[in-house]
Amino acid sequence: MRRLVLLAALLGALASPTLAGTPRLTVFAAASLTDVFPQIDSHARYSFAGSNALAAQIRQGLPADDFASANVTLPDQLYEAGLVEKPILFTANTLVMIARKGNPDHLHGIYSLGGNSDLKIVMAAKGVPVGDYTRTVLAKANLSGLVGRAVSQETDVREVLAKVALGEADVGFVYATDANTVPGQVAVFAIPRQYEPKVNYAAAAVTSSPHLAAAEAWVKRLQGKTAQAKLRAAGFLVPGRG
Amino acid sequence: MMRRLAGGTLVFAAAFVALAFLVLPVLAIFARVSPGRLAAQLSKPIVTDALRISLETTGIAQVLILLLGTPAAYLLASRRFRGRGVVVTLVELPLVLPPAVAGIGLIAAFGRFGLLGGTLSALGIRLGLTQAAVVLAVAFVASPLYLRQAITAFEAVDPDVVAAARTLGAGPGRTFFRVVLPLARNGLAAGEALAFARGLGEFGATIMFAGSLQGVTQTLPLAIYQEFAVNFDATLAMSALLVLVSAALLVALKVTLQWQPSQRTSRFLFAPSS
Repeated sequence: MRRLVLLAALLGALASPTLAGTPRLTVFAAASLTDVFPQIDSHARYSFAGSNALAAQIRQGLPADDFASANVTLPDQLYEAGLVEKPILFTANTLVMIARKGNPDHLHGIYSLGGNSDLKIVMAAKGVPVGDYTRTVLAKANLSGLVGRAVSQETDVREVLAKVALGEADVGFVYATDANTVPGQVAVFAIPRQYEPKVNYAAAAVTSSPHLAAAEAWVKRLQGKTAQAKLRAAGFLVPGRG
Repeated sequence: MMRRLAGGTLVFAAAFVALAFLVLPVLAIFARVSPGRLAAQLSKPIVTDALRISLETTGIAQVLILLLGTPAAYLLASRRFRGRGVVVTLVELPLVLPPAVAGIGLIAAFGRFGLLGGTLSALGIRLGLTQAAVVLAVAFVASPLYLRQAITAFEAVDPDVVAAARTLGAGPGRTFFRVVLPLARNGLAAGEALAFARGLGEFGATIMFAGSLQGVTQTLPLAIYQEFAVNFDATLAMSALLVLVSAALLVALKVTLQWQPSQRTSRFLFAPSS
């Protein structure tokens, strides 16, 4: 789905000349940043998707100026491959469990999932950052069996959110900030503190960008006061904790 | 003279660009890695599972399309009633709908909070995120292709031949199975091949309404989308497989359409004037 948005963005890129002086940057960003990034910079063009899909697109040479990932591993791998500049941490998040609106299944957290085998659980696929965090949490909580019970392995966090918000699935695992974007439409449960994964976001300029200086400035800007205030307002956290 | 020559060259250049543009992406799938490496990817569980799910769901959808679509097409082809044009247009609409709209429509109709969601829940049925949802998505996007072709095929059957069969004492059922169906079968087969190809390629409505789970709801296009981020060789292999299957269906379609039925009832049926 988001690939279509990308295509539209690329066509737009061909059609519109850059504004005088400031090049219009193309930012590949984790799906969880869908709402907040346009608030930080409404001028850039965005392609939101699972960070792993975006990293794969950068590896295949799709034109991006910046990459913002919901983990540190993917930008680090691209950095080692010489495809992006040195990544910087710019924000963090927490994983939560969500259930359908009004919690009709009377759940009270991850440990209430084991008993009810009729529950439709969705999570992101392995390799998608939120999917990997979900697996880590469930493994630590001795609930790895739930992974095999998932009825769908989604390609990004917003697909998980949509399936639960629409009521097609009963339970899902998303970031706290995703749940915030649909207030009242899902019930939110915190992950027990001892199992909470460290969700850090890293961004980097893409080495092949024709506007590398601007792309690097864009990454720096994410650490600035304005951007950090917007991130905090959306529920994102200060990076590097734990 | 020179101008004509230049014009001719331009036409050729334009035609070459158009053809190259259409052929190149398909060839590129095969050129990127060696056939041996592609073949090796085909034995990966994610590929074999996706192939099985694709064939299963598309197969079931085709049976439904044939069983329900054939009578519907026959009715629409043989009856004239007010609003027929509107009905035919409505039937064809899913053909031109974006797959994402089809997905939203299916959720709005058959999802848990959809129009029929309450009724289905009362019957203990939850369609969303199940293999049945894949079948529905495939049937929804593919059936108009069959219906369209089948209506045309039934319309081409000479009403005089049908009337003659009835006059000679054949009942409506016998007339349909012994006269109409054999005459229309080429068109029906062509429509079926098109619907099968479209069903195999279904992506948008499926990922929205049925989700993606290896071995359950993950068809080949969904597996390609998911593996793109993980293993590019595997996505190339699956793409190559779909190209070959689609090409085979297309060739079968062309052969079927050119092939004259051997037990035709009347030579005049296929005369140029009709």
